[in-house]
Amino acid sequence: MTPSILAANLGLSFAALAALCLSLNRHHAEVFDRKAERAAVLRLRAFGWAAIAASLVVAGIGEGWAFGPVQWFGALTGAALGLVLLLSYRPRYVAPAALVALGLAAVPLSLAVFTVSP
Amino acid sequence: MAFPAKITLAERASVAGRVVLAAGGGYGVAALATALLSLTLPLTRAEAVAAATLLSFAVMAGIVVFVFAQRSLLRATVAVTGLAGLLCLGLWLAMRGLTP
Amino acid sequence: MKGSFRQSMAWLHTWSGLIVGWVLFAIFVTGTASYYRPDITRWMRPELTRAAPLDAPALGAAAERAVTYLKEHAPKARGWFIGLPQPDKPVLDLFWRTRPGEPPGHAMLDPRTGTEAAMRDTRGGDFLYRFHFELHMPPLWGRWVVGICAMIMLVALISGIVTHKRIFADFFTFRRDKAPRRSWLDAHNVTGVLALPFHLMITYTGIITLALMYMPWGVTTAYKGDNQAFFAEAGWVTTPRAPANRPAALAPVGPLVERALATVPETLERLSVVNPGDANATVIAVFEEPHGLSHQHPQIAFDGVSGEMLEVLGDGLKPAAKTFTVMTGLHEAHFAGTALRLLFFLCGLMGCAMVATGIVLWSLARLPKANERAFFGLRLVQALNIGSIAGLPAAVAVFFLANRLLPVDLAGRAEWEIDAFFGAWIVAALVPLVRPQRRAWCEGLAAVSLLCLAVVAADILTIPGHPLRLMGGDPLFAWFDAAMLLLAGLFALAARKVLRYEAPRKEGKRERDMAQGPRPEPMAPSPTRAPVRHREPTHA
Repeated sequence: MTPSILAANLGLSFAALAALCLSLNRHHAEVFDRKAERAAVLRLRAFGWAAIAASLVVAGIGEGWAFGPVQWFGALTGAALGLVLLLSYRPRYVAPAALVALGLAAVPLSLAVFTVSP
Repeated sequence: MAFPAKITLAERASVAGRVVLAAGGGYGVAALATALLSLTLPLTRAEAVAAATLLSFAVMAGIVVFVFAQRSLLRATVAVTGLAGLLCLGLWLAMRGLTP
Repeated sequence: MKGSFRQSMAWLHTWSGLIVGWVLFAIFVTGTASYYRPDITRWMRPELTRAAPLDAPALGAAAERAVTYLKEHAPKARGWFIGLPQPDKPVLDLFWRTRPGEPPGHAMLDPRTGTEAAMRDTRGGDFLYRFHFELHMPPLWGRWVVGICAMIMLVALISGIVTHKRIFADFFTFRRDKAPRRSWLDAHNVTGVLALPFHLMITYTGIITLALMYMPWGVTTAYKGDNQAFFAEAGWVTTPRAPANRPAALAPVGPLVERALATVPETLERLSVVNPGDANATVIAVFEEPHGLSHQHPQIAFDGVSGEMLEVLGDGLKPAAKTFTVMTGLHEAHFAGTALRLLFFLCGLMGCAMVATGIVLWSLARLPKANERAFFGLRLVQALNIGSIAGLPAAVAVFFLANRLLPVDLAGRAEWEIDAFFGAWIVAALVPLVRPQRRAWCEGLAAVSLLCLAVVAADILTIPGHPLRLMGGDPLFAWFDAAMLLLAGLFALAARKVLRYEAPRKEGKRERDMAQGPRPEPMAPSPTRAPVRHREPTHA
């Protein structure tokens, strides 16, 4: 159970932080060569914070509310480091990587849901 | 980050004074607060000591930041010694209460 | 201070960071390595192979053998500590204390025979672990120095947060292609901010692990200074029993071990025998922590003479006492499995990088103008930077290398390893004083890279059971070597960046003796006078 929960945390954190990052004008321009629209900024921010919250809930339910927050922080830090390095060396890959991360997070989560509710 | 090209003796003395006040005063206030809270927190004895000790380092960090944030060393000194005095008084009362 | 709150905090951040920077770097590196302390120890004792866990009677018999040895070799001791064999560490690890102030006695026995185990004498990962909070000084001194550094680190963190103008706007910003000071500041901010929860947690909990030494005044007033009474009342230890000063024979410990195992479902880690040979002797069985954040070992106290069970200590702690143990547990991260441990390790590396970039920034901000000479303080800081950022990893690599290359039966072998560590560090710290700055960085980093490679080579050549030489060999050696190869690669990369970096014009003259970079690449990473941007040295 633990590795899959951690994978889900890492994936959610990466996608969330990437969304928050792309909601900032400077990084949006680095990745897409244009300024972000107001509506897009709001959508990205809403998704970002929601995914961070979802990651905490996943960690709390999956690992218990003692370990969960620790793992949540750890996953956020690890994902953020990866994101900053990617943004610095291969900014074009940030958006696709975020989608892949979200997909990777979805796999263990859907498995968990299926095993919990047969 | 930049620092003045010429540092006067008064400035050096002020910095040295702050370092002494932050270290000595910070530790002193933290120690007095720990001792006082250990006796007065409305918990069992062991819980009070544990809670007071856990808090003490945050108290010390706060005092250090306060000392360096003050514009005048004199004001910082007065505030820290005043606080220490109050804690001393409280501790004296608490210890008298323990051994009537 | 003059100026605004933020300016005074910037001043505080700069100077508090600088004065303890090098010590903090050493604390961070050895602490980060300590996340893998058992693995490092096992790697440094290649004679020990993993063993199947012992069942209760076998564990009891092993404990009996330990007691037999201790009765013979430490009959006057006030306390015996018997580390019981575990799959990862299949030896009886014995300590005993005779009187306060005297260094404890130590022996390692083969649990099947009760004779001293045949293996090389080494401190293993324990050396790095103890260096982390004692700096290889007398314990009392070392712990105070580390505590003061940790307190200053806490202040530096708080003032750093205040100083940082745009934490959220610059959260993801790392401009590696800008001017040196800019990209170094970005690197410092990114490593500091991204792992900020870790940095705050590890600094505060680090102080808390030794809190009662630094801040004993609560115990002084509420318990008249009696630490043991406080520990017992908080529920951390079993109630202490004073010696009766009448001799009595110790009950056989084998049955006690079996009863302890039948009472608590955790792995039995060690036995403490307090006042052996006295009528009030106590045998305390200490178990591994149950899965949880809290660093609290379940314990069972037995009367050492009658064998009666006196006290069972589980997890019934009250909130503040529990917070204490959770903080200690968070600091030590015993609970972390492979993946979470890797994240902790990564955070530790970011801490190393934060400290390293911080002390380099100080010297970058004070580089002399074109026609000025470097002032003495700057030269000293630059040399100390190289001596710690490249020197300490080099020393750790030499420590590992000495473990493999010194003759196995050398007298005082463990001390030789430590001498090699400090010898290498002293050399690495002195050489930069007489070399041009950038040359010294390059040489230092390249030396670390080569030393890491040498560790791998020595490991493969001297260990017959290495997985590369023997099918089914212990995979630990392969993992360790892979980590060393990774470090060798990172340091080589860093050295290459220093070498390739083209100095701005005005510095060219002062450093004309250095290899010049081939071309100014517009996207060239890290145009700096000093190297290593991301990740900092440490050893798995």
